[in-house]
Amino acid sequence: MILSQLIKNNGGAVAEKPAVSEATTGKISIRDVGIIYDPEGVHVVAVQNCSLEIPAGEFCVIVGPSGCGKTTLLNAIAGFHGVTSGEIYLDDELLCSSEVTTDPGADRIVVFQNGALFPWNTVLENVIYGPVVQGKMTRPEAREAGHEMLLQMGLSGISHSYPSEISSGMRRRVEIARAMMNDPKVLLLDEPFRAMDALTKTVVQKYLLDVYDASNKTVFFITHDLEEAIFLGTRVYVMTTRPGQIKKVINVDIPRPRDFRVLSSEIYRDLKEEVIEAVHEEAKKAFEAGERERA
Amino acid sequence: MSAPPKGSKNGSRRKKIAKLLKDRATYRGCIAIIAVLVLWEAGSVLGLPILKNIPSLSSVLVSFKEAVFDPAYYVSWKDSFMRIFLGFTLALIIGIPLGLFMGTSRYIRELTLPVFEVLRPIPPLAWVPASAIFWPDVEMSVIFVTFLGAFFVLILNIVGGARSIDARYIRAAVSLGASRRDVFWRIVLPATLPSILVGMTVGIGVCWNTVVAAEMIASRSGLGFLTWRSYVTFSYPMIVVGMISIGIAGYISSGIIRILGARLMPWLKTN
Repeated sequence: MILSQLIKNNGGAVAEKPAVSEATTGKISIRDVGIIYDPEGVHVVAVQNCSLEIPAGEFCVIVGPSGCGKTTLLNAIAGFHGVTSGEIYLDDELLCSSEVTTDPGADRIVVFQNGALFPWNTVLENVIYGPVVQGKMTRPEAREAGHEMLLQMGLSGISHSYPSEISSGMRRRVEIARAMMNDPKVLLLDEPFRAMDALTKTVVQKYLLDVYDASNKTVFFITHDLEEAIFLGTRVYVMTTRPGQIKKVINVDIPRPRDFRVLSSEIYRDLKEEVIEAVHEEAKKAFEAGERERA
Repeated sequence: MSAPPKGSKNGSRRKKIAKLLKDRATYRGCIAIIAVLVLWEAGSVLGLPILKNIPSLSSVLVSFKEAVFDPAYYVSWKDSFMRIFLGFTLALIIGIPLGLFMGTSRYIRELTLPVFEVLRPIPPLAWVPASAIFWPDVEMSVIFVTFLGAFFVLILNIVGGARSIDARYIRAAVSLGASRRDVFWRIVLPATLPSILVGMTVGIGVCWNTVVAAEMIASRSGLGFLTWRSYVTFSYPMIVVGMISIGIAGYISSGIIRILGARLMPWLKTN
């Protein structure tokens, strides 16, 4: 696999930019989407008139105040629930609209906020879960492929450990490996590095960047952490308070592969200021709205 | 990390025993047990109030020795264990699938749970007369009552366990392409396993409570009957032998379940 060589070449300091072919699949089009929870009852408008076009292979980061509908949007792409209006397309195929919902599938794998490795399966069994349940590989084939994948990702030492026996940083890496095992078109990450200590976080972020650089998958990444957003993303989309829609799009023109030297560059600081300003405004609105609700 | 070196299990057991011997708590525990035994024996020898009514330690030991060489004693063991085995296994065979269905299907849960809520507060022993009428022979009714003892505990634990499965796991599985069947066998079942084992551990205890009492009331064999008959026939030391036997039997049963649990759920081992 090319992935292995790329990650090896790329591990650590900035290597030469790996020659990855342009991604051709994984384009997401979100067109005028509205999502209302419990339309008959409480009627919570979570997302409204939300549109964004994510080109194939883009590392797209969504930031916004708490409860602005980021996760709702991600769940709609994943197929966990439908939309009330508008449409979402994946590679020009309709994923969901008010009439259509497509079941969750291995072309759009989700990595959850608190991690969802199955505690009763070893690392290897977790990694091969997708191909086995889809019937794409027999168990022996999958084990072989799984070993290969873990080896490439520098995780082979822990293949027979249970998730509870490895560190949180390792768990996230395994989860990314489990997703990549399915060769998905899109990786959907919902605040995957939340509640991680700063040092572990930087390691796992770099790891994700390596995987991204090597695979050129489309990544849909949700976070609260603005530094993380700029460090990782090709484009950062700032969402408004609920009902969520895209308030601002910020292009992050920092060349890849990136490493931590980026964090002290001028362009990074300018971008951070820009994002903070946009998000802060919304956060304040969200806060005031919360106060009003309580009054 | 990979294959552990051979003999490490033996080594770790030896280490455990060595640690136990060094531990101060072990000695304190031993002292307390010896003190109780001494007090027990002294009670009857010195004629201490209240304590003197209890058959003395030495007379119990004599009875125990007699029992150990008496084949009838082992028949009591066998009969009680057989009832526990049948009643408990039946509870597992019916209870585990039913509990899982009740936990995962709202329809089945809403249909059946009220029945359980009504029947559950009735203590298993209260079923003895009714089941004696209902079942053609005493043996069946004792087994039935034993079954009930484990059944309700098991069902409620499994329903609780299956309902509290973290939705993340199910979503992750579906996202990885799992069918409903896969979700059931590879997510719901292992995720509920700890609750099943808790239900089994509590259930086997209730089973022993129930079988002993049922044997005292209705049966003509078993450890419960042995204990009760000893009381009726004034062979008091034998009562204590019966009690201790029941204690040992209960300990063995829960030990088996504990070992089973460790085997079935290797991910829960603490290291």
